[in-house]
Amino acid sequence: MLEQVLEILKNAGVYAWEVTEMRTEGWEFYFIRHALDQNRAKRIYSLGIKVYQKIGEDKIGSAGAELPPTASSEEAKKLVANLAYQATLAPNKLYTLRKPSEAHAAHRDRVCVDVPAIAGDFLRTLKALPETETEDLNSYEIFASSATRRYLNSEGVDVTETYPESMAEVIVNARNGNHEIELYRMYESGSCDAAGLERDVKKAMAYGRDRLLAKPTPALGKADLILSGEDAIEVYAYFADRLDPAMICRRMSDWAIGKPIAEDVKGDRVTLTAKRELPNSSLNRAFDNEGSPIRDTVMLRDNVPEHFLGGRMFSCYMGLEDSFQPGNYAVAGGKQSEAELRKGKYLEAVEFSGFEVDSMTGDIFGEIRLAYWHDGETVTPVTGGSVSGNLRELLGELYLSAETVQYDNWSIPAVTKLNGVTVAGIE
Amino acid sequence: MKANFSPWLLHIRDGLKTLIELLGRDYPYVSALATDSVGLGLSISQHSKAVRNATMTTERGVVFRVWKDGLYSEYALNEFDPAAAEATCGQIKAALDAQLALLRETGTTIYDTPVLDDEPLTLFVEKETEQLPETADIKALVEKLTALSDRGMSLDPRTIECFTSAQSTHISKLFLTKNRDLSQSYVYSEGMVGVVVMEDGKNQMDYASVSGLCGPELFDGLAAKLDKAAAGAAELLSAERIEPGEYEIITSPEVTGLIAHEAFGHGVEMDMFVKNRALGKDYIGKRVGSELCSMHEGALCAENVTSYAFDDEGVLAGDVTEIDKGILKTGICDALSALRLGVKPTGNGKRQNYAHKVYTRMTNTMFDSGDSSLEEMIAATKRGFLLEGMESGMEDPKHWGIQCIIKKGREIVDGKLTGRVVAPIILTGYVPDLLGGICMRSRDREVFGSGGCGKGHKEWVKVADGGPYLKTKARLG
Repeated sequence: MLEQVLEILKNAGVYAWEVTEMRTEGWEFYFIRHALDQNRAKRIYSLGIKVYQKIGEDKIGSAGAELPPTASSEEAKKLVANLAYQATLAPNKLYTLRKPSEAHAAHRDRVCVDVPAIAGDFLRTLKALPETETEDLNSYEIFASSATRRYLNSEGVDVTETYPESMAEVIVNARNGNHEIELYRMYESGSCDAAGLERDVKKAMAYGRDRLLAKPTPALGKADLILSGEDAIEVYAYFADRLDPAMICRRMSDWAIGKPIAEDVKGDRVTLTAKRELPNSSLNRAFDNEGSPIRDTVMLRDNVPEHFLGGRMFSCYMGLEDSFQPGNYAVAGGKQSEAELRKGKYLEAVEFSGFEVDSMTGDIFGEIRLAYWHDGETVTPVTGGSVSGNLRELLGELYLSAETVQYDNWSIPAVTKLNGVTVAGIE
Repeated sequence: MKANFSPWLLHIRDGLKTLIELLGRDYPYVSALATDSVGLGLSISQHSKAVRNATMTTERGVVFRVWKDGLYSEYALNEFDPAAAEATCGQIKAALDAQLALLRETGTTIYDTPVLDDEPLTLFVEKETEQLPETADIKALVEKLTALSDRGMSLDPRTIECFTSAQSTHISKLFLTKNRDLSQSYVYSEGMVGVVVMEDGKNQMDYASVSGLCGPELFDGLAAKLDKAAAGAAELLSAERIEPGEYEIITSPEVTGLIAHEAFGHGVEMDMFVKNRALGKDYIGKRVGSELCSMHEGALCAENVTSYAFDDEGVLAGDVTEIDKGILKTGICDALSALRLGVKPTGNGKRQNYAHKVYTRMTNTMFDSGDSSLEEMIAATKRGFLLEGMESGMEDPKHWGIQCIIKKGREIVDGKLTGRVVAPIILTGYVPDLLGGICMRSRDREVFGSGGCGKGHKEWVKVADGGPYLKTKARLG
């Protein structure tokens, strides 16, 4: 199928093209308690085609589609012809596709993914997780797969990468008599991280116990907020998003290379690095979706933008030839230890209904499912109410622990502290 | 015109039937869901234009479901050759046998489930549409959206971008068992116009959307939405922060829909009952809202983006009264959960696509209308807010907590809008309190289908929701 499509594209008289071939084999297991609800297997082949046409001297248009593997030769020819026409209808400022480089020439796809072995590791790990009479697993889902992606374009780039993609969704219950609550967890990774799963599920069970005892969140007005879980990624995604050329070109981010992103900073300044690899990340790749080589690159150093990174089109517009779409990120630790950041009064929120940071406006939201109110003397688990604020306005008092922790494709400070967040209580 | 059924599905139908027969020698129950959905997606803004022959729900593939010894297993593929049914049968059996070997090795027990019934049923439905996405005049549509984006830029000097997007999908699905042969095709479309403004280095964005069980002709309606989006974005620039607290609120139909979806949409998905993950299970027949709170759910209760004739398990679409005058009557249910609970399925078994598992999912989730006008509702408000525009929502079916992120609130004092706007707003609370406080509802109602819905943080499907203006109380922050 691929060879046929490449031949059609080469003879179609189009300005440029990209083809992405994906082969995915996956095993899935769904459990209610520890009894198997359903098992599933899949074998999927996809072929994405994007055709470019030059429009006048300084414009380029594109149109994309997926060609079903069951398509006939005639269907493939018709699709390419349609794309060639459609691409003339949507003119953008001219940009170019990725050209072959030494990184492409040096790349070898050597990964072999054993899907049954990964699935077996998950099955054994989840079955053996320590449960108690009052804390256990309500249900879980296991996804283990192998993906092979081949990217080709008309400039001559042709790279193939095989990688594992895994996910476990785990629902933890905690109960006190008839009162039962649940905690939701979704663990994405390359293969099964048994130790990490066990560590985090144990922590979730402890949170469950505390939530059963939680009191209504007091109306604190303004308070210092500590985020010590995965929700803190939302805070750091704000920085990554605002360093994306697509945000810069559209003026949705006013950050500039070499210009500090905040003034009068009393807290820690953020250093954010795009990483090609993090241990067992589900997004460890040598190349992005447009064939651009991924390399370790500091995006933000001490609150000063150093590199904007993102997709090909807007990167070209900004003259960023070495740009790419990052998969993994690392945020450097701050000056103080976790213990030092935990001094004084603060609200430590560990479970939200959903914690969100709007990358464009900086607005922060989250309904509290479990937090700990540290009033300087005692620690009280609380629930209900919400936190809100604006990260843009809070950057002056953002504090990061020296210790870091990894959640799949993000390595971030173990504790993130934001001073002056609004806490709407229910007490 | 009719949304014609997929020629490819017709081409593979006999091959699928052969394969079902072959698998039937080893498995007492076999079904196949084959899909062939094509679509068109356009994204036009000042900085970027793109044409895609794809949407969130375009797909072509087959999933086989088999049952044996109390266990349901599935195999999904997209390289099905109708002339090679025997080879595919071997491929499926080998993969599932390998899984069973691993399950035996790990000492896994089975959640024993009865076999699905296979009463004979035949259906062929081609719904009406004015246009099809695959034959739409893309040039004219791009020009229309470009003109819309250009006009959006001219409305306010502070505007820095005007996005438009338009997606139309022509769905074709074929469900087969030994005794069932169901075919359906329909077209749904959705569009959005969004305006981004900037002042003193601060950005704000507002948007408006259209959706419907129709073709690309829907996008003509986007022009009428632009002014609302532009005015909304400009308003947000001068919006104030809300003082957290409990207020009287009037929810606009869009916010009403978000509450319906989060409160007793997810809260009564009965696959959650099987896992004991939803408090609703213990509240059937009990009061969960005021007398003015009634809610329907089903593919038949509105015509929008997910108004199909049968679901992804071959169960005919329904219209369920979930809440009647404040009393929780029932939930919605996929076929396997129905077997496990001993109830009838409601036609709510949906997959993200052929390669994903079926879960109980929402279709159209709607609050019923009442007999008040919006003006009467505002006049009856001592101090509160008219809430407009939805951003996102999250539910806790086990605890009935709800979180809704809302674009803005218009202040009401002593029965009058003051002109003051607060934004953004996080609405939180306990669902029975929120629904129990409903004291007025408007006569009109609207349906919104431009969003997607996840189960947990995955399994994205199309849903629609809505209702009238509702007056109640809530905690805002």
